[in-house]
Amino acid sequence: MIQHIDVHAVLQQSVPGYFADLVTRPTGRAVRREIERAIAGAEPTVARMDFSGVGCIDYSCADEIIAKLLREVKVLLLRGLTDGHREAIEPVLLSHGLAVLVELPDGTLDALGPRETAEGLIEELVARRLAVRTPGGALALTAA
Amino acid sequence: MTRLVGVPGNFDDRSFDQFAGAYAQATADGERLLFDAHAAEWASPYGLVGLLAAGQASRTAAGERPLLTAPTSPEVLSYWGRAGFFREAGELFEIHGRVPKPKTPTDSDVLLPVTPVRAAEDVHQVVSHIQQRATAILTSELGIDPKATMGFAMALSEACQNIVEHAGTGGWVAVQSYHWRRRLARRVVVIAVADAGVGFRRSLEPAQAKRFGERWGDAAALEAALIQGVSRFRDPGRGQGLKGIRNYISRWDGKISIRSGTARISIVPSWDDDVPLKDGLPAFPGSQVLLIIPEQGSRK
Repeated sequence: MIQHIDVHAVLQQSVPGYFADLVTRPTGRAVRREIERAIAGAEPTVARMDFSGVGCIDYSCADEIIAKLLREVKVLLLRGLTDGHREAIEPVLLSHGLAVLVELPDGTLDALGPRETAEGLIEELVARRLAVRTPGGALALTAA
Repeated sequence: MTRLVGVPGNFDDRSFDQFAGAYAQATADGERLLFDAHAAEWASPYGLVGLLAAGQASRTAAGERPLLTAPTSPEVLSYWGRAGFFREAGELFEIHGRVPKPKTPTDSDVLLPVTPVRAAEDVHQVVSHIQQRATAILTSELGIDPKATMGFAMALSEACQNIVEHAGTGGWVAVQSYHWRRRLARRVVVIAVADAGVGFRRSLEPAQAKRFGERWGDAAALEAALIQGVSRFRDPGRGQGLKGIRNYISRWDGKISIRSGTARISIVPSWDDDVPLKDGLPAFPGSQVLLIIPEQGSRK
């Protein structure tokens, strides 16, 4: 099962005032708790987090949201990421030895995180038939 | 009795230790302070937020607002006003001299006027404001890749969060762009963050002092935070912020310098002649962070 999460919408629900940026630990905690509430009981195999509309993410927020959500959810699939978002998320994944999937604009998947962990995540997804290799060699989800 | 603290004529990170020395000497007996800035010719964002931190600490220690004589030069007075200094100083100091009326800054070089940082919401406001104003300056004037402007906002956010998470009191941030003729002959963007809180040593002491033993002090605390990425929290994800700032600044050949208590640590780029770590400085409350990002490319 894939659970869809609109991160920008969750941010608006979690923090008073209209802010488009995922910055500060308190904001990260508030957003993560809202997501945890949303997925509680559903136990999704994959949580697909859409970052479209999110401005800046800082390291603290990336740590509070991404790294800590990976304790609850086996696979995080991030979409709508900008280069700036990656700049905050990648060091956090590296420091924790964690990996996530990233959905590219063409729909194919990439893994983000330390190389071995990222490769392991892809192998596991393919083995569990949650993702397949396309004829071109790219990786795609079997169920969107 | 009132003790005098002279504000250096050119008040920036280089003259800050002179100011801190005068401050440390004047606060020795708990008397009311008079900060004398009447002859000030120039102040960097670092000088302005540092002066506010001194005012805050002095007000707390003496139980009454310290005095401040405003600069007499109309140009300097006007700049301090545009930079948002007097809006914040009014609460902290009993100001003597003519002070310009507060107004919304229109100066394009003042990317972020002196802004208080007390809570996470303030950091949101700062990041939101800076993204609107800084992108054009960073890309067109400093030659920084547009994709990297978000990294600038991240670095600013993390620097401000140090106050919220560790200082135990509020502080201030200011961001400005200017042409650094004498020192670098290039344009720079400067982020200055200051507070008069507990400082790095006291913040990290419960978790780190034992590990350092007799070496523990302001310098060791700064080294632990900036170089080793340690935090007072046991959560393994903590300590990422300063490391992230360091990486961003290094990528753009910039400088990061943190002063806390009696020490200052810096990641020194090739264009600067500062030392990486200096201990035994005059004691000054809280923490003062300076980030400098220079124009990219060869020197003009």
